[in-house]
Parts: sequence; structure tokens; C-alpha cells
Amino acid sequence: MSFMKELTKGIIKENPTFVIVLGMCPTLATSTSVNNAIGMGLAATFVLICSNIFISLIKNITPDKIRIPVYVIVIAAFVSIVDMCMAAYLPALHKSLGLFIPLIVVNCIILGRAEAYANKNNVINSIADGIGMGLGFTLALSVVATIREILGNGTWLNMRVMPKTYDPMLITLLAPGAFITLGLLMALMNMLKEKK
Amino acid sequence: MKIYLQLGLILLAFCVAATALLAYVNSLTKPQIDSIQQKEAEETRRKLIPDSEFEEIKGDFTYYIAKDNKTKEVKGYVFTAKKNGYNGPVKTMAAIDKDFNIIAIKVIQQTETPGLGTNSTQPKFTDQFKGKSVEQLIVDKDGGVPPNCIKAITGATITTRAVTNSLKESITLLKKLVLEKSASTIETQVREEVHK
Repeated sequence: MSFMKELTKGIIKENPTFVIVLGMCPTLATSTSVNNAIGMGLAATFVLICSNIFISLIKNITPDKIRIPVYVIVIAAFVSIVDMCMAAYLPALHKSLGLFIPLIVVNCIILGRAEAYANKNNVINSIADGIGMGLGFTLALSVVATIREILGNGTWLNMRVMPKTYDPMLITLLAPGAFITLGLLMALMNMLKEKK
Repeated sequence: MKIYLQLGLILLAFCVAATALLAYVNSLTKPQIDSIQQKEAEETRRKLIPDSEFEEIKGDFTYYIAKDNKTKEVKGYVFTAKKNGYNGPVKTMAAIDKDFNIIAIKVIQQTETPGLGTNSTQPKFTDQFKGKSVEQLIVDKDGGVPPNCIKAITGATITTRAVTNSLKESITLLKKLVLEKSASTIETQVREEVHK
């Protein structure tokens, strides 16, 4: 498999949110505004790439029976290190992304990719997979967030897009609204796929 | 049996390595993070009550007395209130005037739900605290009557309560401490007078 193919598969064909349906908790939580969605997406992408590299490197020394606990330790340790380093040396970035870091630990996309991909493939392909999946996640979050932010708040990236008289649909900002939006988008994706 | 012991030991080795690494990174970043936080706290105090110098009063409840740069008159007090919110502690820095009415507040640390509880950091929420007295610190859902109450954030009543009630408790405590302190200073002054 080529590097490019690994890179692009996460964006549409194996999109982590719409197709694999992983990482629903952070999706619900951070897709209330496009700002949050992009922040969460990028932070998760960064951790995903790093954890994929790590898991891929240690795949030969981890016994099969305890691989999941080992991944959990690696990911949790890694996220904490990223959090501490960012807080110490990049305080500005930490201020905007720091909020999402605890959510990354519970993001199953990272564990999912470690288990489904990085422990069977070499480092280079794992990096490509991490970038692709991360971008796919960011894109999916942004799409959901665009719909929720416009309908629920009348804004996009904090810019007003709806007329002042528009009465925001608050439910789209709450958890049920996220499920409805997500369901409709998945249905749309499936419809387009079947047409092909 | 032997295999399980072996697996356990390997897992232990991973845990020890991860803990050691985390402890090392923590020892490197901790001083840096602390100094950044201190600087930020200092800046926040300046922003809440401008043109003042701050005197720290240490104790079980640490607070700062803000004095005017020129006249040295006491302008008010700054303190940090803390209470558990939906996901963890919510810390709010507040400035109050001599009569214990709120000048301004800033939520400085929280790990609430992105998109809902995190709105507590927005001026739209914090601005409504300006000028409120202790009696007015009640959430509308708890029986407060507008405008003498705090309007809860949609979908984040628990966060609103954490901020409001922590402020209420801290101001009540501060009132007591300040009154006690001024009583004791008057006492010493009187004693000195008598001495003369």
C-alpha cells in the first residue's frame, strides 16, 4: 500500500466519525462550535500521529495477550507528557487546546487505530494513517460543528451568518441535537455511497 | 502459571517506565508551569482592579488587598473561589470593592463540557456578576428573581451553580476575615493610644 493511499483513506472512505463511528464522546462534546471542532481535531491528530509511531515501534516487544493495557498506558502517558510540555513551553497554544487534552485520552479513535492499524504496520504507514485519520476526524467534526453552530447560535467561526431576527434552535447545541445532526449526515453519506 | 507471571512482569515494566518518564517530565515542566500560572494570576489581578498594588494576606483563605497606586487607599479585595462543577473543580478569580460588591470576575480554571459549561469563561456570562452583592448571588433556577440573580447558562446549570455558590461562600468568609482583621487593628490602635 502506498503512503498516499494510507493518507487519504481516513478522509472519506474510512472516515473515523461517519464510517467507523469512533470517538463519539468528543464529537458530541466539541462540535458545538467550529472553533472547538478544529482545536479538538488538530490536538487529536497530533496525539494520534505520535501514538501510532510509538505503538508501531513497540509492536514486536509487546506480548499479544496484554497489548490493550500496554496501549492504554502508552497513550495515557503520552497525552500527559504532551499536556505538561505544552503548558510549560507553549502556554498560548495550551490555552486554546489544553481544554481538549483530557478528552483525547478517552478518544477511542486513538486506541482504535493503535489496535487496528499501528500494531500491524510499519512506522511510515502508521504516520500516514495517523495523519489521514486525524484529518478525517477534524473534517467530520467541522462539518457537524458548522451545522450545529449555524442553527444553534446563528454564527460560523464566531461570525454572524444568520439575520439578527433568527431565533436560534438551542437543541442543536445540546447532546440530542448532536445525535440528530450526526444521524442525518451519516444517512446522507450512505445515500451518496449507494448511488455510486 | 509461569506465562501469567511473565505477562504481569512485562506490564509492570511498562508501567514503571511510563511512571518514571512522567515523573521526569513533571520535574522538568513543573517550575515553568507554576511561574506561568503565577504571572497569569498577577496579570488577571491587574486587569480586574487596574492601577493598584496588591498585598497578599496568607492564611487558610488567601486573598489580596488592592490599594490605589497613588493614594494607597483600599480599593477592594481579590481572591480565588473554588467549587466542584460538573467535571471537576471550577476556579474563579473575583474582585470585590470595599462594600463587598463584585467588581468583576474571571473563571480561571475549569474542565467543564466544551460548548456548554465552558461558556462560563465568556464575558456574556461573567459580565452579569458585575455589581452583584452576596444576597444577589443566587442562580435563577434556585429561585432567584431577575434581575437580582444569576442567569444559568443553557445546559450548564451545575457549572453556573459552582461559580455562583463558590463566590457566595468566599465573599461571606472574606467579609468575616476582613471585619475581624479591622477589629483587631482598631484594638491595637486603641491599645497604642492608651500606652501613649
